[in-house]
Amino acid sequence: MVEAKTVETQTLPQSAPGEREFMLDVRTQDMEVNMGPQHPATHGVMRILVRADGEVCTGAQPHLGYLHRCAEKIGENVEWLQYLPYTDRYDYLAAMNNNLGYSMAVEKLMGIEIPRRALMIRTICAELNRIGSHLIAFGTYGLDIGAFTPFLYMFREREWMMALFEKICGARLTYSYIRIGGVFNDAPPGWLSEVERFCDTFEQKWQEYVDLLMVNHIFVQRTANIGVISRAMALDFGLTGPMLRGSGVDWDLRRDMPYELYAEIWKDGVFSIPLGRGEHGTLGDCWDRSYVRVMEMIESIKIVRWCLGAITPGPVIADIPKTLRVPAGEAYVGIENPRGELGHYVVSDGGKVAVRCRVRGPSFTNLAVLEELMPGALLADAVAIIGSTDIVVGETDR
Amino acid sequence: MLLGLLGAAQTGTNPIREFLEGVKPEAVPGWAVALTAIGIGVGITVAVISVIAMFGTWLERKVSGHIQCRYGPMRAGWHGWLQPIADGVKLLLKEDLVPKGADRVLYVIAPALVLASVLAAMAVYPLAPGFFFADIDLGIFFILAMTSTTTIGVVMAGWSSNSKWSLYGSMREAAQVVAYEIPLGLSLLVPILVAGTFNLLEVSQAQAGFFGLNWYVWPWVNPFMLPAFVLFFIAILAETKRAPFDLPEAESELVAGFMTEYSGIRWSFFFMEEYAAMYLYSVVGAFFFFGGFESPLTWAAIEAFGDGSVMHQVAAGTTLVVKGFAGVFLMMWLRWTLPRVRIDQVMTLGYKYLTPLALVCVLGAGLWELFLAPVLPWRQG
Amino acid sequence: MDFRGILDRLRATGAPGLLGHDLPRAADPKDKKDKGRGGDPFLWVEPAQLPAFLERCRDDERLRFELLIDLTAVDPSKDDPNLWVVVSLLSLAHRHRLTVKCALPKAAASLPSSVPVYRAAQWHERECGEMYGITFAGHPDPRHILLPEDWVGAPLRKDYVFPDEYHGISCK
Repeated sequence: MVEAKTVETQTLPQSAPGEREFMLDVRTQDMEVNMGPQHPATHGVMRILVRADGEVCTGAQPHLGYLHRCAEKIGENVEWLQYLPYTDRYDYLAAMNNNLGYSMAVEKLMGIEIPRRALMIRTICAELNRIGSHLIAFGTYGLDIGAFTPFLYMFREREWMMALFEKICGARLTYSYIRIGGVFNDAPPGWLSEVERFCDTFEQKWQEYVDLLMVNHIFVQRTANIGVISRAMALDFGLTGPMLRGSGVDWDLRRDMPYELYAEIWKDGVFSIPLGRGEHGTLGDCWDRSYVRVMEMIESIKIVRWCLGAITPGPVIADIPKTLRVPAGEAYVGIENPRGELGHYVVSDGGKVAVRCRVRGPSFTNLAVLEELMPGALLADAVAIIGSTDIVVGETDR
Repeated sequence: MLLGLLGAAQTGTNPIREFLEGVKPEAVPGWAVALTAIGIGVGITVAVISVIAMFGTWLERKVSGHIQCRYGPMRAGWHGWLQPIADGVKLLLKEDLVPKGADRVLYVIAPALVLASVLAAMAVYPLAPGFFFADIDLGIFFILAMTSTTTIGVVMAGWSSNSKWSLYGSMREAAQVVAYEIPLGLSLLVPILVAGTFNLLEVSQAQAGFFGLNWYVWPWVNPFMLPAFVLFFIAILAETKRAPFDLPEAESELVAGFMTEYSGIRWSFFFMEEYAAMYLYSVVGAFFFFGGFESPLTWAAIEAFGDGSVMHQVAAGTTLVVKGFAGVFLMMWLRWTLPRVRIDQVMTLGYKYLTPLALVCVLGAGLWELFLAPVLPWRQG
Repeated sequence: MDFRGILDRLRATGAPGLLGHDLPRAADPKDKKDKGRGGDPFLWVEPAQLPAFLERCRDDERLRFELLIDLTAVDPSKDDPNLWVVVSLLSLAHRHRLTVKCALPKAAASLPSSVPVYRAAQWHERECGEMYGITFAGHPDPRHILLPEDWVGAPLRKDYVFPDEYHGISCK
């Protein structure tokens, strides 16, 4: 039996002495509340130690590591191709994007060229997975706020997306489909037209979500002016993705440091980058971040449509030996994950196994801002703030 | 429960007692009859509450299922109608836990107190115009008083669970319920002003006739009725802790709020109380705004079978049940559509917006009654 | 700017601690052992001056690296006496990236903390420190982040040996 042991002895930041002047004569003790590891609102196995004065948080301390599965150590012990299934499992809601990031990093070191059809399919899969990931992000955010129904509606679309992925690679959640050199296999016949049907239906359903949740007065009241991240704070904390764009910072790797086909797609004027505008409340609040995620779903549909129109037959994978020896060197490749910049930093000495396989997970970096946002927020707002960071603990811990 | 019935036993009578008086053997003393009547009344009330709670859980699951594009329970019986029974059996068989460090006495009493308050309120509800347990003149006042005591039980539950999450839930609940008592009472004052009585049966009779056009909610009776009903409905949503005011049991934040540490039959007491309270408040709304027992169906039964006949009773009782569950359905519909309002927003709404509006409604309704009602032709007689 | 431009700018403004650079190169046909190096170019920086260097990267007008993307470490091999601390920077204004490396001796792996320059470094340094046994001097909160508080050893080092047991749980 493991003996229970209290290990944390750090003190949380105290409220400033003059902060609660109007309650000086009713000074009560701050309460330390433990959110998690098992908690409906922490989006995974994570523990946040909250010090609360009644309903107001005075400090928050996230404790991570409950889902640490030593991905980076494993990367140094298995062969290059064998590592791919591990990449699925950090951000399991956007597994295609993880595969893509890792494959691109290794391909950069190898210097190989990917066939065009493979690039098309990769882009379709990555964008569909972005939609799926944002559906969960927004749906569970509604669940945290108390709206049970939009979550199930979004899962209806997500089921369709997962069925599409099941047809193409056999898996619903952890795909290992985008491989070094291209994609594992070609799309089965009829798959592309089914994707097109998905796009057509999704646009109507998307409007449903906006009407039901996004502009719902109660939702706006719960998320506007909450968890405001200023531009300076966002940059200082190294935030990327919707966290950064929600604060009005116009940065998206797909447009600004394009990879794969995005340079072409951007040149054709296919999609735009939604930014938070402070429409309800302050710029950089939780509503803006949700807004960015919701609008990105439609932009992804546009990208998928472009790919469906431009795809041509051809090979789907470059010629990669089964035992891959990647040329010596090191490379960093960052791609736009639904949560931010997913970076893979791989170091090779020419062997079968990586020397270093570092994963820069956006959720890990994005979560750090919680320590700054929580003090001063109400406990109910704490849940709203955590939900708006859209973290996946698999990626936070790796 | 006993309070209401005892009151009735001493001061008045009810159909059960009359029936027993009629069939009793000569030697049986009066107090024995009274006690038997009380016993039977309690039994029927508990049965009715149980059925309502069971049907309420089934309805909730079906309604939520269909709103969420899924079916809900389908396996236990036809469309899952046996599901509540299955749930009840499961809950009865669960291990009886009391958390370590919990205040044992309070922990055990809390759910019982909560359910007892609602059962007590039920004592005053007539099931049909001729079938009631206690026809007291303070009808609605008694109901409001009894349902308020559930707050004590909830706070006891939260405190005695020895869990911070439960404490948060019960603190929120106490604040919320107390805040919304005021608009609840004030909004009910509007129909009371028009009816001139607290008694539920008399209020229902005052809305009789004309095919349901005499219901108080219509604007031609009193234009302040409809706003009063809206306020009343919002207030009962808050009182029964239903979304969008379901912070005390805010599932995604506080695990299960004040009910976190409860399991098995104790937990089911809280849930029975919730559905029973939903139904009972909705029936109060039906009595004061929507005619209570009066409906076209009742009117037809009176015409066909005579006032006071069995068919009239059945028609009236059915009408009331339908109205009650219509309100319950509306509450469920709202729950599955709307997100949750934050506690300080709930309090702001209650104190800063609903209470002044309710006062305005009462004032306006009173002035209308005083000056305009005697003049309007359809308000005579 | 491309890497050349960034390097020239840093040299021109006298960035503190800049030691050298390393570019990808093809294999040397004359030397069989030299397999060449692919991938990205990077800079070598003196560990003790890393925060000052990063501050220059962040504040210089032509460089403007507003975001610290990653701060991590690499253990190149068991035989190498050094660890590398690798910092990835990103500039939104000028759309360029930079990789900065410091070589630390494994026996005395310590360097000043970059938290005053980039708040993002706070958690990255915690993870890097616990995984490689690197001390970031001046870090405001140097607790373990992913590993339990009482974990012994630096797991990502190449010479790390997994413990036999942890709190009575066998690790075999």
